[in-house]
Amino acid sequence: MEGTVHTPTSSTDGAVLRGEQIEKSYGSWLPIGRTTPVLTGANFELTPGEIVGIVGENGSGKSTLMKILVGVLGADAGSVERGGTIGWCPQEPLLYDRLTVAETFDLFGSGYGMDEAAIREARDRLAERLEFDRYLDYRIDALSGGNRQKVNLAVALMHDPDVLLLDEPYTGFDWDTYLHFWDIAEDLAADGTAIAMISHLIEERTRLDRIVEVRDGVVRDATHDEDAIEEHGATSGEADQFEAADSAGDGAADAAGSPQAPDSEGDDRA
Amino acid sequence: MPPAVRRHPTARAMTVRRLAAGVRLNVLTFVRTPLNVVLAVALPIVVIEGWGRSMAGLPETPTMEAIPLTLGRLLGAILGVAIVAGLLGLTQMISAREADRRLVQTGYEPRTLLATRLLALSGVTVAVAAVNFLVLAATTSPEAPVLTFAFLALAGIVYAFLGALVGAVLPRLFEGSLVVVFLAMMDAFLSGDSPLAADVPDFVTYFPLYHPKELLRAAMFEGTVATGDLAFVAGYVLVLLAAVTAVFGATMQVDGRWSA
Repeated sequence: MEGTVHTPTSSTDGAVLRGEQIEKSYGSWLPIGRTTPVLTGANFELTPGEIVGIVGENGSGKSTLMKILVGVLGADAGSVERGGTIGWCPQEPLLYDRLTVAETFDLFGSGYGMDEAAIREARDRLAERLEFDRYLDYRIDALSGGNRQKVNLAVALMHDPDVLLLDEPYTGFDWDTYLHFWDIAEDLAADGTAIAMISHLIEERTRLDRIVEVRDGVVRDATHDEDAIEEHGATSGEADQFEAADSAGDGAADAAGSPQAPDSEGDDRA
Repeated sequence: MPPAVRRHPTARAMTVRRLAAGVRLNVLTFVRTPLNVVLAVALPIVVIEGWGRSMAGLPETPTMEAIPLTLGRLLGAILGVAIVAGLLGLTQMISAREADRRLVQTGYEPRTLLATRLLALSGVTVAVAAVNFLVLAATTSPEAPVLTFAFLALAGIVYAFLGALVGAVLPRLFEGSLVVVFLAMMDAFLSGDSPLAADVPDFVTYFPLYHPKELLRAAMFEGTVATGDLAFVAGYVLVLLAAVTAVFGATMQVDGRWSA
């Protein structure tokens, strides 16, 4: 059975994004292949202005759920209703390597239906705020991982979406950019943008309105579940490590999905 | 003074803008890939002379005449264009498949995105054909140079679209490259009047290069247009276009475009 999608829509209870009874399995088209069920009836809802953290162990289906909510992956069953414009920041930067940063904005901006002035304004605003303005003429494949991730995030933000779906958006960020990211996210939420974010950082719980856990194919509320948060968060005291690394400027990297201290000396990428 | 009102572009204007931006950026992507440029420039010289001399060097038999060097060079030019255009078509479809899906999610119609790819690909193919034609014209004397160039470009476009189709169906660079190169070499050999391929079955006439080769031969040696072959090639291009559009559209299907 194919999943159904309704977009755009307005919800009677204010939800701007809702997925119901989503099922998804991965398998081979060969009859001898193994089928792996990932989601077995997941429900998810997002209302304007809230920031929701999505946690879960590796392979639990967090990214699959997000891709289905965005619409780039079809569900086997279930439905998704979207009530507004969507910005999606995938885990891996999905950009065109041989285009410059400015050209990347032109291309994706034209996809969003923005005119040239709006593209330029969004590009300059986000480049300044996320501190990649000096790399606008650099090609994507000449950027460091952190700067590439900044562009990846900025592309998701450039059209001021109503719904923002972020899959570990700060991978490779330095501490300052990580803080800038949260400033932007909190500003957007204050303006009514609904934000869902796959996160591993336990310290972020204070910034999140809700936390949901993807486990055994379904989504459950884990806002007050200390065990689940402890289990899926990065090591305790992470923020202290970033601050220490930042002040030392030693380029320390850490757990996947974590912000990093400033780029190391040996990297010749921008 | 009232605040400036931002006008939303019409759907048609938006499509035109996306097409223009897409074609420009696709061409830039090609130019910024040095291997593409090297292939486009170096391969014609190697293939036209190499393939031409090897075909002309095949032995004459009691029932078959040897291939003249000029015809060998012509066949080399077709092969050179076909291989480069086919590989370019293939890589265009494979290299950014995931980024394409993201772009489609933003609102780019798959058909518009594909159109930007194929337009850029056709432009680059014409440039590749021009290089091949210059090498060919330097070593032979075509009766109708403009027609010879045009049909060389047409042969390239056939293979460019074929490469794009292979890339859409088989999105793996190594396997796809093998398919395109093997197909082009077999096609050029079987379609190419080789005495070693004298008893080929009739279905060779449906091979992608068979009719372009007939077109080229008529233009180069007789200065004429083989209209039947031209109609066949035009139909071939349309069928390939329909097939690649259908496959690309299916692979790029997303249901989460942002709502206006």
